[in-house]
Amino acid sequence: MEILLRQFQTKSFLSICKCLEPAYSHATSWTSGNAMLGKTLFHTSNTVAMPYNPPKGPRKWPIYNKKIFAPQLPGEERRPAYVCHMRTNIKYSPFKMWYVASMIRGMSVDEAIKQLSFVNKQGAVHVKEVLLEAQKLAVEKHNVEFKSNLWVAESFATKGLVMKGIRRHAKGRVGLVHYFHCHYFVRLEEGSPPAHFFFETAPKTTKTLLSEWVDEMRQRRIPGSL
Amino acid sequence: MPTMNAGIQVRERHTKHWAPAFKKLRRLKVQKVKLPNFREEDTISELTPDQIRSRMKEQGILPPRSWMERPITISATGAVFEPYIPPEGDGKLSSLTLGGAKQSMEFLSKKSKSMLAVRKIRSFEDNFSPSTFAEEAQDIYIKAHKALVEKDYDTLHQCVTELCFPLMTEDLKMCTTRWQFLKSLEPPRVVHARCTDIINKENIFSQVTVRFHTQQTLAVYDRFGRLIYGSEVVAKDVVEYVVFEKHLANSYGLWRIHEKIIPDWMPAREPGRKTYVQQKPVVESEPVADTAVPATPTEQSAAVA
Repeated sequence: MEILLRQFQTKSFLSICKCLEPAYSHATSWTSGNAMLGKTLFHTSNTVAMPYNPPKGPRKWPIYNKKIFAPQLPGEERRPAYVCHMRTNIKYSPFKMWYVASMIRGMSVDEAIKQLSFVNKQGAVHVKEVLLEAQKLAVEKHNVEFKSNLWVAESFATKGLVMKGIRRHAKGRVGLVHYFHCHYFVRLEEGSPPAHFFFETAPKTTKTLLSEWVDEMRQRRIPGSL
Repeated sequence: MPTMNAGIQVRERHTKHWAPAFKKLRRLKVQKVKLPNFREEDTISELTPDQIRSRMKEQGILPPRSWMERPITISATGAVFEPYIPPEGDGKLSSLTLGGAKQSMEFLSKKSKSMLAVRKIRSFEDNFSPSTFAEEAQDIYIKAHKALVEKDYDTLHQCVTELCFPLMTEDLKMCTTRWQFLKSLEPPRVVHARCTDIINKENIFSQVTVRFHTQQTLAVYDRFGRLIYGSEVVAKDVVEYVVFEKHLANSYGLWRIHEKIIPDWMPAREPGRKTYVQQKPVVESEPVADTAVPATPTEQSAAVA
């Protein structure tokens, strides 16, 4: 059965632009059993007014959040939760953002937020906001119990929109001005951060040191020998 | 005067351009480029209607229509009308005891309003009878839950109304469910029936409440495969009052699960393995009155005076 609903303009321009409240408040005046219709069954937003803006920029990173893992067997080690978050087209150079992104790799979330609060870079403000958003998402949507029990597993920035402008130099020469944007990506994982995130800076065990020394000794050759 | 400037931070410039007179010309060397604002969504809620209007003009978007006509199909009602009130302690007593036997002797034929509703349903559906319907209802129940577990939403829409669908699926979207229907401890029974019309007198919806006493296992795993509710091995006895709805006036109408009646006396479910931070209640403090505190006389003030 079809009925035509007429939603008259009684609301402000602002609310119409935002396509708010469904029309049930008007519809129920037409019906005998108002409560029967309830609030759950009408979706009367105005799709004509706002044109469809296709999403721009990177879209694959948040898809990692949709992956559902198979149920774990009783004896298996508990799989740590993770959340992937990003912010696209930040008005900041990716070359400068690299310093901020690489600084927090392997840190716990609390430590990262603390450090970013005192880094003298514009990019740090954005990274800190993204970390806080990601922490909130992890707790609310990804079944992370403690918001502090997270560490930065992946943190990187890539090139975004680059707009080019011009400037003049002396003697009629022209220069190009690049206005850089960057995308910032972060993956927070549940648990305490690893003792040594970077392989190169981890202290070597005596066993590895010994084996390396032995290899070096064995590589020695006498020059000019047969 | 030192006392007035005390505590105020003053920052001065220590550098100055070697030719400050040419600042304007130097600024004109670089052509200003209008960069798109990617952080627009954050501030859009703080705009006034006039600002929104001007922005839409800039982007060349026409304003929305002042009225909106859209055809709507009502295929399910939004609530349970005249819900069934289950008797307290139902399902606790064994049917072999006197009290339990009395409970199971709750005949639908003694409820006049329900029988009227059944008669109304028979006017649309000739071979409708509460006894046969109860078995059908159990089949629909099992089919719906199997579809929910397999995330087969096409079948689920056939088995469940539009009101029930989001209630069933929303929380389980990012979870894996494992559900088993072991057996029915008591035969399913129709306990309640009602009919109502929406908008027109001919547009009739009927709602029939069926009582199930079954044994089921349920285990829910989160996105990472960690158990958050129930167990795959432990079976639970479940007493449920499920409301089935059908759009009688629609020739293609189907009996579908609409709602579940959970009485107050029903014991609470086992809590899920998830912790929350309890929100502190917002305590509105009394406004502090800014009055001058009279100075208490001390030795020094007395000496000054």
